[in-house]
Amino acid sequence: MSVVDLLVPELTSGDAIGAHTLLLRDVFVEQGASVRFVVEQPSSLADEVIVLSAWKKPGDLVVLQHGIGSQLAATVIERQLPVVLNYHNITPPEFVEAWDAGHVAGLRWGRRQLHQLAPFARRAVADSQYNANELIDVGFSDVRVAPVLWNVRELGAGDTNRGDPVVLFVGRVTANKCQHDLVAAMGALALTHPTARLVIVGAAASASYRRALDAYATRLGVAERVEFVGAVDDTTLASHLAGASVFVCLSEHEGFCVPVVEAMAAGVPVIAYGAAVLPETVAHAGIVLGDKSPSTVATAIARILDDPALRQDLIERGRLRAEDFSPVNSRTATWAAYDGLVPE
Amino acid sequence: MTHANAADSQAYINRVRAEIEAEAEARRRRDPELERREREIERMWIEVAPPGAAGSQGELLLDRADRLAMIDVDVPLGSRPGIRQMKGVIRKGAYWYLRYVADQVNALNNILTRLLRRFDERINALEAAAGVGDGDGLAESVPEPTDAVADVVASVLGSQVGRTMVLGCGSGVLVRPLHEAGITVHGVDRDALNILPGVRDGLDLRAAEPAAHLAEARPGEFGAVVAAGFVEDLGPTAAQRIVEQSIAAVGNGTVVILASDPGDRGVVERELRAGRGLSPATWSYLFERAGATVDLVETTDLRLRTLVVARLV
Repeated sequence: MSVVDLLVPELTSGDAIGAHTLLLRDVFVEQGASVRFVVEQPSSLADEVIVLSAWKKPGDLVVLQHGIGSQLAATVIERQLPVVLNYHNITPPEFVEAWDAGHVAGLRWGRRQLHQLAPFARRAVADSQYNANELIDVGFSDVRVAPVLWNVRELGAGDTNRGDPVVLFVGRVTANKCQHDLVAAMGALALTHPTARLVIVGAAASASYRRALDAYATRLGVAERVEFVGAVDDTTLASHLAGASVFVCLSEHEGFCVPVVEAMAAGVPVIAYGAAVLPETVAHAGIVLGDKSPSTVATAIARILDDPALRQDLIERGRLRAEDFSPVNSRTATWAAYDGLVPE
Repeated sequence: MTHANAADSQAYINRVRAEIEAEAEARRRRDPELERREREIERMWIEVAPPGAAGSQGELLLDRADRLAMIDVDVPLGSRPGIRQMKGVIRKGAYWYLRYVADQVNALNNILTRLLRRFDERINALEAAAGVGDGDGLAESVPEPTDAVADVVASVLGSQVGRTMVLGCGSGVLVRPLHEAGITVHGVDRDALNILPGVRDGLDLRAAEPAAHLAEARPGEFGAVVAAGFVEDLGPTAAQRIVEQSIAAVGNGTVVILASDPGDRGVVERELRAGRGLSPATWSYLFERAGATVDLVETTDLRLRTLVVARLV
């Protein structure tokens, strides 16, 4: 039986890369391979977990999860192991350096490691074509695309809320996700829809950014209509999706953006700013804006709130698009991306 | 609502997006209060964000000052297991010291940057009071090329040209014949209201600043770049940038410039557009200097009499 080593700095179910790695294990096991997780921090989420310091002999296939600089990647580089790089993109440091100087070093380290990995990696598997293009630019020669594997939840029907309109965003509270642009849009939306509320679900990855958002909402006079929910469990997330009138993502940088897919699957119309991977993930299943000035975003939100036909159309489009990332389709694409790498 | 195919579906969603952007633009033009509110919203963010985080508004210098003062306190330390603990202790000590230094430097920088911002605002106020920049927008916008000119452009490019971008597309006069010839083409115009008729006809037209859009193109991404309209307002430096970026964007393809000859302008336009807009002969010179082979193609149009067709081989 072939042995596949999945290298992931931290194996937790709460973040997208951890959840993806656990599901990737299932894909390899389904194909008859034996899987071990190699981690930097011990984890109780799976049985076959090896801490890096105890990892002596690599398996038949080594897959490195890469989203930030890691000691795992440093070890691979030092040993020149012919790995498969599973790339989830790395936030460009300039988005966060004004907020979190301490976070920048890991991001820069991760980008440097990409260049070091390119010459000897067997293959790279990127979450999106956007991520794949970055790898090609860096010098990876064999690059395939397979979406992030995500846990399909019971997501409800969307817009069960019959009260005030709810604008929803789900994602870590951090500068590259631009929650401040959402707050700004609420400042403009108040002119036409004074009862609309903004709900932001996600842990605060940057305390300074989170504080600035509070101050901003207060100055704009919309603090009472902006709610930061923090990190939530699946059930609570499903209820937020069910109560949302529209999902708005104004991020400047995303590598795939699972929450957009979740919103589409839950029947919530999506508005996104056309940066990074978002035009690719949303495709033509949502409104992708080329400009995120407050009045443009507010106009888009108002249009969806006030136009039932458009709203229904976007819901249908979203459901179809989410189907592209269904478990069956994603697993098939994933296995195809690793085709020929696992010995019989 | 169902859609027969992916192209129709995309055209529909593009049309909705363009309508939204045009509606927002129209509201801004109708209602100066809304424009004022937007500026206020932006200013409030600048007030609460640390220097360098708010971006935009020509604050590159301030951003750079901020970045130069930033110290990374969390330097990653890769090591073999044996000496990791020792490095950990050193790292912790270094972290606390550097954190202290970084806080001091950043606080000082914060003050300096805010003073620079005030200075910047003051200069803007003085410029406004002195009337610097007056005249922008006084000259009439350049009329769109005629269908006849568009047909000449399409015939110059041929049907095998590859992916094409039209900068300064207006309502899509130049894009339409290329689209009908089966070429993958999109247009860009800075005016969201301008593009709306073309978008409603199913053309891929986007509201964006043409020069910025061109700058974002990847090397060799396009078979052809066509530039019209906005080029009439470019000075020599900006024109040279367009030449360089369009050549990079087409790789071995073709660049077509539709520019009238400033010598043909009437007195009013000549004075209001003084120093802006280059003649086809000058565009031709710039492209040849950059290594392109240039043809000057005559049209029957009274204003756009000569097209500059630069081919890269």
